[in-house]
Amino acid sequence: MTNATASTPSGQPLGISHKPSPTESMFEKFKAADKPAFIGYLPYGFPDPEYSLKAFRTMVEHGVNAVEIGLPYSDPVMDGPVIQAASQIAIDNGEKIANVFKAVETVANAGGVPLVMSYWNLIFHYGVERFARDFENAGGVGLITPDLIPDEAGEWIEASDRHALDRIFLVSPDSTEDRLKIVADNARGFVYAAARMGVTGERSTIDASPEELVTRTRKAGAKNVCVGIGVSTAEQGARVGSYADGVIVGSALVHTMLDESGKHAVDEAAGLKALAAKTEELAEGIHNARN
Amino acid sequence: MSVLDELVAGAVEDQKSREKDVPLDEVKRMAFEAPSPIDARQWLKKPDGIPVIAEIKRASPSKGHLSDIPDPAALAREYERGGASAISVLTEGRRFLGSLDDFDKVRAAVRIPVLRKDFIVTEYQIWEARAHGADLVLLIVAALDDDRLKSLLDLAHSLNMTVLVETHTREEIQRAIKVGAKVIGINARNLKDLKVDVNKYNELAADLPDDVIRVAESGVFGAVELEDYARAGADAVLVGEGVATAADHEQAVNRLVKAGARVKASEQTPLASHEGPYFGQFGGRYVPEALITALDELERVYTEAKADPEFHKELARLNQQYVGRPSPLTEAPRFAERLKEKTGLDARVFLKREDLNHTGAHKINNALGQALLVKRMGKTRVIAETGAGQHGVATATVCAMLGLKCRIYMGQIDARRQALNVARMRMLGAEVVEVTLGDRILKDAINEALRDWVTNVKDTHYLLGTVAGPHPFPSMVRDFQKIIGEEAKQQLQDWYGIDHPDAICACVGGGSNAIGIMNAFLDDDRVNLYGYEAGGNGPESGRHAIRFAPGTGELGMFQGAKSYLLENSEGQTLDTYSISAGLDYASVGPEHAWLKDIGRVNYSWATDQEAMSAFKDLCETEGIIPAIESSHAVAGAYKAAADLKAKGYKHPVMIINISGRGDKDMNTAGKWFGYLTDEQAKALEANGAQGNNADGE
Repeated sequence: MTNATASTPSGQPLGISHKPSPTESMFEKFKAADKPAFIGYLPYGFPDPEYSLKAFRTMVEHGVNAVEIGLPYSDPVMDGPVIQAASQIAIDNGEKIANVFKAVETVANAGGVPLVMSYWNLIFHYGVERFARDFENAGGVGLITPDLIPDEAGEWIEASDRHALDRIFLVSPDSTEDRLKIVADNARGFVYAAARMGVTGERSTIDASPEELVTRTRKAGAKNVCVGIGVSTAEQGARVGSYADGVIVGSALVHTMLDESGKHAVDEAAGLKALAAKTEELAEGIHNARN
Repeated sequence: MSVLDELVAGAVEDQKSREKDVPLDEVKRMAFEAPSPIDARQWLKKPDGIPVIAEIKRASPSKGHLSDIPDPAALAREYERGGASAISVLTEGRRFLGSLDDFDKVRAAVRIPVLRKDFIVTEYQIWEARAHGADLVLLIVAALDDDRLKSLLDLAHSLNMTVLVETHTREEIQRAIKVGAKVIGINARNLKDLKVDVNKYNELAADLPDDVIRVAESGVFGAVELEDYARAGADAVLVGEGVATAADHEQAVNRLVKAGARVKASEQTPLASHEGPYFGQFGGRYVPEALITALDELERVYTEAKADPEFHKELARLNQQYVGRPSPLTEAPRFAERLKEKTGLDARVFLKREDLNHTGAHKINNALGQALLVKRMGKTRVIAETGAGQHGVATATVCAMLGLKCRIYMGQIDARRQALNVARMRMLGAEVVEVTLGDRILKDAINEALRDWVTNVKDTHYLLGTVAGPHPFPSMVRDFQKIIGEEAKQQLQDWYGIDHPDAICACVGGGSNAIGIMNAFLDDDRVNLYGYEAGGNGPESGRHAIRFAPGTGELGMFQGAKSYLLENSEGQTLDTYSISAGLDYASVGPEHAWLKDIGRVNYSWATDQEAMSAFKDLCETEGIIPAIESSHAVAGAYKAAADLKAKGYKHPVMIINISGRGDKDMNTAGKWFGYLTDEQAKALEANGAQGNNADGE
């Protein structure tokens, strides 16, 4: 992969962009209204590229504020069975990374904040600078990197600086103060706090550790901290939203578009309807968390 | 008039107007009174890092306005806190919007060397720099003729200042060397795509005397360019915009300093004691943040153990009394004869018998070492992945011995072709989980093990079986396996009176047995090292696990490390195939990737066909049944022999690492060679013990 360096019209290399982060503006707005933001995840291309674009629009229209557009990967070590299955369906149905920018545009046009969630090899293989440039051009705002820690992120930090993209790293309940500080120092947009140790997936209960983690991450210097992994009901969303700047829901949304076997998608009309309903239910819980 | 001419003319005009206020004699007096300069050369070359010269620059002719910098002293202090080795201050006022006033403020604010960067063409400017406390000045070769360059350089040197001599072409570099430049700034930006061009740098920096400090001077923005320059051999870098316009200046400098330290750390010699996290550009920790605490803990505990004689004593005792080490080094004269028949090379062949270890493979060396660490960490549960089942069996074994809870993840396809090993693991009290996700082979077992680890990391240790994965696994597993080569070296001398082998052959999946036998010989250039990957049906077939041959693996991140990786055009991991479950892996240990890149190990492959034919050869000639994995090394011996012959060896000494024994492979071999009746083969299949995954899948 060639990684052409971005340049200015006069042929000089692009410098550090100081364009403000739309994610941070979104959080400022929500903080002013004393509300948490709702961040919804779906893999791009699930169940197929066209269907997934409609699903992204549906999410935004029914209450998601920022969309985490997942890039399906063959070896997703941070994901549980639901997202693994959806990713596999997307890959089987011809998902291509070059087309994910259509999803980015779709979300932006619908009024949502487009974020991409990707395992690092996909971005590395596409070309970090090339991805940053294409993502920025499509109206993309930030990248969530579940298997890239700031210590390994040199190339991404550089590209995101040049293209004013958010760098969203994760922290987990057993992260030490030193680690929290490294993440907070290098993050832009928000920090993604994992509600529990483990992979993505729905849980009937959420323990108390995320609140403590949010507090510790803020203390380490993070401006905005959102909680994800294991949040699947309106009630859980409300609980988490009472202290987090944003609530991230993934598997529960993906689930609405899978049939009972968990291996196949339901047809489009039914899938979008279920997705809309689940999104509204979650949005209701999350946005009213502090009322 | 060129831009440079214009800048020089402007600088001279400004200098003349300053000279009217402060005549040369006055400036000279000030220069003698100024505190003596810091020897910047001591700051610009370090064994353990790439010194960063951070620049204070408001604007440039090419990029226009960059940053206001209302308080240059504060900025300089931030640079210094970030770890900068020197500060460069632009004092040109017309286009760069700098001044000597900026310089004075910076000089007063920091203790590190300060460079006056200007268009210096007169002696007055040099004296002036010294008068303001400069430790370094810049001279631009393109702006000066040879005589002028030399006299200004000599003057600066006589004032004990260091001179950074800026060059753009090979010819300018020659001129700089001729007049005695000691610190040369090299500009290797490719003007077509504006990227740092390492080849251009190499071309420019070739035959610079060793005592000249090489400063990469253009196009350094962030960690990527710094690493490129550092790997190409630059001693220091000068960075302007990348730090001056950053939101957090201290952090921006620090990122560069850390990137330089990383590169330097990975370049330390000798090869054999090379430590992670990076082997050249390979390795690292590409894992979720949730695992970092556990990896840090593992690294800490391992470092403590390494320094603890009691740990080594306990490991040595168990190696001897439980594993049965040392494993013998057996001469294989009848196999050598067959090798001669086939290749015409008259070699002495020795087999390192890891197959004779308890549990029948080299895997126990590492399993035992890590299990002792589990005890030290106070964890109670162990998980592991397994391909051929050998690592799973070794892990289940040591867990039984040490009373640890054990769960083994195994791809469903592997579990079928290695059904006997599944039974062994269960016998030993381990829980075996068949992974039905993905391709259902080794990589999928590792994915599941990683998911388990992310979830249960508090009380669980992931006992990774090979020299892959995130740091510290590649270094640590190597350390536990290097006993193979250390023993072989000693045995060759003690038992056979041979000083050193001429060649080592080993199979490479993740690469632990290969690293294990090669480590002791890495720094001995007399020893040719050969690694053989699983060729499956051959590289053109697309059904193989060859990562190193042209057109196969690409640079990528997989399961925690940056290395070579079999991936499709989208960056998705490719299906791999080999008759040998233990070599059937899409990536390869980062140390191997590095050894390939530096050309220390010759990597090639053996196909299923070649491996099975070698399997039979060894059985028939020596009465030793190797694992199918190890048979790839035996097959490789024929290829290595051809290479040695071509290199002019007449009677070379070769060691083949027999990493494991082949009992587990009898179903596969029986079917392959047609030693089973249809009925018997069917009965095996009905039991789920298929010969290889080409059938029935």
